[in-house]
Amino acid sequence: MSEKENVKQESDFTRRNFLKGLMGAASAATALAAYETLVNNPEVLLAQEDVVSPGIVTALTSADDGQVDILERMRAELSQALQKPVADRRWVMVIDLRKCVGCHACTIGCVAENKLPPGVVYRPVLEEEWGTYPNVGRRFIPRPCMQCDNPPCTPVCPVNATFKNEEGIVEVDYDQCIGCRACLTACPYGARTSDFGLTYTEGLPVADGLIAGRTNAEGYERVANFEYSEARPREGHESPIGNARKCHFCLHRVRVGELPACVTTCIGRATMFGDANDPDSLVSEMIAQPNVMRLKEELGTSPRVYYLV
Amino acid sequence: MMTVKRVLYVLGIVALILGLYGFYSRLFIGERDVNYGSYVTWGLWVAMYLFFAGIASGSFVIATLEYLFEVPLFKGTGKLALWAAMVTLPAALISIGMDLGHLERIWKVYLQPNPTSLLAQMVWGYTIFGGVILLSLWLVARHGHRSTFAVKALMMVGFVMAIFVSGGVGALLGVNASRAVWHVGLLPAQFPIFSLATGVALMLTIVSFFGTMEDAIRVRLQRVLSIGMVVLLLVKTYLLWSDFSMSLYSGVPQNVDAINAVMYGDYWWSFWILQIVLGTILPIIVLIMPNWSKNRLLAGLTGIVILIGFGAARANIVFPALSIPELEGMAEAFSGPHLNFDYFPSLMEWSLTIGVVGLATLAYLIGIDRLPFLKQTSSEVTQ
Repeated sequence: MSEKENVKQESDFTRRNFLKGLMGAASAATALAAYETLVNNPEVLLAQEDVVSPGIVTALTSADDGQVDILERMRAELSQALQKPVADRRWVMVIDLRKCVGCHACTIGCVAENKLPPGVVYRPVLEEEWGTYPNVGRRFIPRPCMQCDNPPCTPVCPVNATFKNEEGIVEVDYDQCIGCRACLTACPYGARTSDFGLTYTEGLPVADGLIAGRTNAEGYERVANFEYSEARPREGHESPIGNARKCHFCLHRVRVGELPACVTTCIGRATMFGDANDPDSLVSEMIAQPNVMRLKEELGTSPRVYYLV
Repeated sequence: MMTVKRVLYVLGIVALILGLYGFYSRLFIGERDVNYGSYVTWGLWVAMYLFFAGIASGSFVIATLEYLFEVPLFKGTGKLALWAAMVTLPAALISIGMDLGHLERIWKVYLQPNPTSLLAQMVWGYTIFGGVILLSLWLVARHGHRSTFAVKALMMVGFVMAIFVSGGVGALLGVNASRAVWHVGLLPAQFPIFSLATGVALMLTIVSFFGTMEDAIRVRLQRVLSIGMVVLLLVKTYLLWSDFSMSLYSGVPQNVDAINAVMYGDYWWSFWILQIVLGTILPIIVLIMPNWSKNRLLAGLTGIVILIGFGAARANIVFPALSIPELEGMAEAFSGPHLNFDYFPSLMEWSLTIGVVGLATLAYLIGIDRLPFLKQTSSEVTQ
């Protein structure tokens, strides 16, 4: 291949990427509007490839059975929801327990995304078994923060460090928190953990000469995470060390149009996320199902995490 | 009783030395070595906060017997009780302060408080209560035994604050609807009674060991305090029975599990041996016997044993309620440090608590030995 051809190809590639990006940004709404047609008639999708973003096209056509990956639908809906005023969004999570295989990928995805230290977990997966052999059953229950509409954890905070934000997400202001753990005690779901300042690599032997030795690994652990869109390296006794910590539906991702880490890492597509104020959204469809339930509803906490059973 | 005082001095110094490790570890390393965590969120230090704060409230109420209600028999005990409140309140605040992840931000509770939070109310309440104790001591030091209007007014405010803060810590636990075993209206109601009981127990020890009043007065005082103590222990036992029986009969699993954990769990001995046998039955037997309750050493030691029983009782209120998982399967879902529902205080936690006990003991002894107005009390009463 000549240099000229190379340059041309590179140029085409750049232009194509640029157009893809442009189309992706501009066509989120178009994609959503065309969504139903695309789902019902995949052949139309191929014919109309130019009206939707290439990324979505690829994803939509990648499934062997022609089914649309719900991640793409949720992404498109998320883009649309972000166009609305903040107060008009109502983020909810729906977890289909029938699809959860208990792989814990969401737990680990969350740990990696938020760089959670030992002893801090936002989304454990509970395992439940019942019955007597041979009539036994087993299910897995991922348990993120419920983002309750009536949260028991916020009024107990002595300094208003935890609160429900405009979008309905219960946040923790790390610089305000005094570390009394009253909110941990008040949460009926055990959804908060305290950061005691530990690291996974602490105390491990140093393997000299290896590229990925303890030093490098420890360095990675100390590098900032980006919860609440703030860079917070783990240094000394700086927050979030000493603070209450909890799931925040990956708000830092959601605000830039990315789905929460637990949603994207779910191999069974059991976790769904979106704006329940959009009547056409996937989550709105799901929470209207008769088989929907919420944990400890009797407490009146009005959780925003729904389970399909 | 000089020998007893010397023994207490030695014990206080030893306890303080043992506590140095705990203080060092907490202040310079942090909370890594504690055994409480994200599931059992409050441990020994919170229990000790409830315990010491209860003694401070109870001691203040006893001080009002001289300065507000002017009960003749209690003349000369007011300063001793106020000083007891003065040393136990900081002990409580040190215990709870060490439990905070960011103690350096405590100023935020004053300048940026959430007024509806019971914890914020407690911080404000203890600050006012501490101020009242300090001011009362200052006025009493200046005016001796005369109950001036200012002293009476302060005593009235302090009396209300003592009830408020001791009931408040009960409410602090009780408002947690997610903890079924705490969430009973009885909790804030019984805490002031527990506080008064610990105040009386400490006063019984103080009067028995250090009371320099005439023997006849001291003996009468010991007898009155003993009878009061027996009544309070019986009331406490009744409250405990009503609390436990209500929980067990209602059959709510989280409630039943918590009560079973107290009575038959790994730390059953803390309930049956420390709280019931040593802290309740034995003292009742000793104190209802006129001759035994008038014996200085026996009555004084009984007071200490009652306090140990109440310390165990505070722990038995705090830990077991938190040892029941909020959701089934939580204990196994994710493992890691501080993610455990089985709690027993770590060496560092014990060390710090022993240090705080040593500190409070030494502060009390040094006060009654060195502070002029407290020494004066003894001589005045003797006259």
